[in-house]
Amino acid sequence: MAISSELIKSVTAELYERSLRKIPLDAMDALVGAAQVESNETARHTLRIMIKSAEEAEKTGQFVCSDSGVPVYFIRVGTQVQFSGHVREAIAQGFDQLVSTIQPPLLPHITSHQNLERGYKGAGMPLVTFDMVDGSDCMDITCSPKALGSGRWAALEIFSFPDLRTIEKYVLDVVARAGSQPCPPVVVGVGIGGSFDYAAKLAKEATLRPIGEHHTESMVADMEKRLLAGINMMGFGPMGTGGDFTASAVHVNYAAGHGFTPVAVAFNCWINRRTRARIFNDGRVEFLE
Amino acid sequence: MTIQTHRMKFPLSENDSRTLRAGDQVVIDGEIIVTAGLPTHQRLIRCLDGLEPLPFNLLGQTLFHLGSYCQAKTSPQGIEQLDVVYINPTTSTRFNDVMPRLIGELQLHAVGGKGGLDARSVEAMKKTGCVYLSFLGGGATLHTQSIQEVLEVGWSDMLMHYRLMRLRVMGLGPVTVAMDAHGNSIYADTQENAQTRMNQIMAFMDGARQEAATKDKC
Repeated sequence: MAISSELIKSVTAELYERSLRKIPLDAMDALVGAAQVESNETARHTLRIMIKSAEEAEKTGQFVCSDSGVPVYFIRVGTQVQFSGHVREAIAQGFDQLVSTIQPPLLPHITSHQNLERGYKGAGMPLVTFDMVDGSDCMDITCSPKALGSGRWAALEIFSFPDLRTIEKYVLDVVARAGSQPCPPVVVGVGIGGSFDYAAKLAKEATLRPIGEHHTESMVADMEKRLLAGINMMGFGPMGTGGDFTASAVHVNYAAGHGFTPVAVAFNCWINRRTRARIFNDGRVEFLE
Repeated sequence: MTIQTHRMKFPLSENDSRTLRAGDQVVIDGEIIVTAGLPTHQRLIRCLDGLEPLPFNLLGQTLFHLGSYCQAKTSPQGIEQLDVVYINPTTSTRFNDVMPRLIGELQLHAVGGKGGLDARSVEAMKKTGCVYLSFLGGGATLHTQSIQEVLEVGWSDMLMHYRLMRLRVMGLGPVTVAMDAHGNSIYADTQENAQTRMNQIMAFMDGARQEAATKDKC
């Protein structure tokens, strides 16, 4: 048995569509929890409207946000997986089909830097990252369309033998620079170490971890907790109009590296767009988020 | 302090604008003009430079950084009209360079979007009598429900969300007055507070790091 292109095409398109109409459960729980303890009245009010907006979108099948972003997929392929056709091509066709059939239609957000023209196609689109998982017999696909609001504020800097304090200060500085603009409360993903490209990928993957799930190593989990507390002491608050909840989570992933240590910081906005499914060799599809 | 919610008729008059204070909430009724395009803003500047006519009157109006998707539909009376399928704010800081001039020369008494504008706009808003309203990003469903009619479309040659749309709305919001006509900006205040608190935050982080290191050693 093998996974067909047709199945990949339909599942990747469906993941995209689902991500636009519903926020993940962990994001909803975070907002509901925040609304109960937030001390700033304007912020509580904004959090309540966020909850209402997400509920209404889900109920009516409308989009939560008008910026449907660019298509971004993270795919983990088990070494036991068999394919019966092209994979990249299937994902591209799935997106094309989504663009031509989805209701309401998407605005054209794929932009060429050469002439700033926008459309539904472009070099390298959809943006797909593949990883291998030893022993697994499924294709694990996460879709996280990236829009300007939060995508614009990611940053990376390379340090030389930094101590933890330097790394943490950099994360705070990047969050302060983003300030009111990435539609807080955000999920902050931090990638430390490896190389330039690898740290960025670690940070992006960290934004995809469910809110409330800490790193398995207690030293890293402690860093996540104090970064979250530190960020929320800054006071930007929901939509940046002041409050206790600038971030709903900080997730840190790391790899060892040379003495030069890249630190990457990426954001997801409050709607935390993320859907995930697994496709098995026998054609079974499991929607996880 | 309890938040004041004002239900107001738009376009806002200069007087109405000056009655609002940063932190107030506003529910919008009336006419607004929206666009999400940077090229649109640059084209508006060309108009102010006399290189092109404005597509319709913008003097004394409201300009919000909201992007919309519109579709043609036929009314029960058989009239072809445009329907806003969804609308949502975009990040206003992208327009920092052009907003002071637009606010001043077009006498805009209300602008808005999400994320705010910089100090140059604070000055222009003080002079003109203009507020900045913060819309919920990711509020497409709620914002769209308040749209009653597309009154006019300017620059149909541009991408859909770049066009200037004059809309009639009822009950749009509540939105937050994030910058008022008296020189107050919640964005400037929160950014300043964050920077002022940075040493205190780092001291807290140092303590927490120390504590965690001790715990991990046990």
